[in-house]
Amino acid sequence: MNPTQPAPAQPTTDTAPTTDAVLADVCGMLRTVLAEYGDDDAEIGMSTTFNRDLELESIDLVTLAGLLEEWYGRRVNLAEFLAGMEFDEIIELTVGRLVEYVVWSLKTTQAG
Amino acid sequence: MVDAGGIRLHVQRMGPAEDRSPRPTVVLVHGLLTDSLASYYFTVAPGFAAAGLDVVMYDLRGHGRSERPSAGYTLDHNIDDLEALLGRLAVTGPVHLVGNSYGGTIAFGYAARHPDRVLSLTLIESEPATSAWATKLGAILDRVVIHLAHNEPDAIAWITANRGHNTARLAKGAARLARETTLGRDIPASRVLTEDEIRAVHCPVLGLYGGESDLVDLVPLKRALLTDFRAVVLPGHEHSVLVEAPTAVGGHILDLIQAGAGVR
Repeated sequence: MNPTQPAPAQPTTDTAPTTDAVLADVCGMLRTVLAEYGDDDAEIGMSTTFNRDLELESIDLVTLAGLLEEWYGRRVNLAEFLAGMEFDEIIELTVGRLVEYVVWSLKTTQAG
Repeated sequence: MVDAGGIRLHVQRMGPAEDRSPRPTVVLVHGLLTDSLASYYFTVAPGFAAAGLDVVMYDLRGHGRSERPSAGYTLDHNIDDLEALLGRLAVTGPVHLVGNSYGGTIAFGYAARHPDRVLSLTLIESEPATSAWATKLGAILDRVVIHLAHNEPDAIAWITANRGHNTARLAKGAARLARETTLGRDIPASRVLTEDEIRAVHCPVLGLYGGESDLVDLVPLKRALLTDFRAVVLPGHEHSVLVEAPTAVGGHILDLIQAGAGVR
């Protein structure tokens, strides 16, 4: 039942990963989650919404939260990120907004 | 995944990992059919962890990522699962329990069975299992089975048009659960609590209700039976007050826990 580790290369520790690199990582994780539904060829880009486009349920986002933590460590905390949002914002959440949050988290923790 | 006495349940925990000092445990129990531990994971749980609590969330049998047996869905099955799960997680001390909707009915049942193992109990839009509760749930589940499970395309089209895409997808999951398991028959046939069993719950009990919800009417009943019961009504909200107003809900729960449990 545990999803497998996504394929993209591990981010290097000395430079914060770029938006493109994080997007590739996140797409890999989303394909892992979607594979459980037999949906492995969905088009995913920055403007893709989790809810309407990918049809992910909130429990799928819990799985994604676990994959993000495995990959980037505890500095990327999807639960805290979403807990700060209104319900409607979560419904409209895009892949791009998550990618920006990940890039920001990695930069912030690197600087600190 | 944790094996809780023969059934595999999906569990998530939150809390500062580096700090192994003993801290109070809060167990969050979600509601029926369309609900899962995600309703806590992305709302109140991060705040509880930040406040120094060990947070335990799990998916009920048949729900979320937990195993979905075809039968065995009475309230007592759910209480047995909670008991077995806490045993497997080696949560030995008394805990703070929070339940949303049917999850609160489970939490109350656990507290009635083990009054000394519960430090506080929060019921969000929820009530103990009484014969009136069983009748009401039976009517709701009948509607789900008839409209959703047996006329799914029509029902989903209506829900998509009137309640949106997100609710429609959750409803598909609910329809599958109602169609493929005995849940719809089992829950209304659950053993309910006697008044003495309800009175046995002696910890502080907090009831949180949406002002637009019909469950507000239950407040006088609980006040009469429980020694330490307080109700908070959140105006402008209905049954899904947990996901609609998580800041207010989380704040009231933390106040209750911190008032009695020595969390600083």
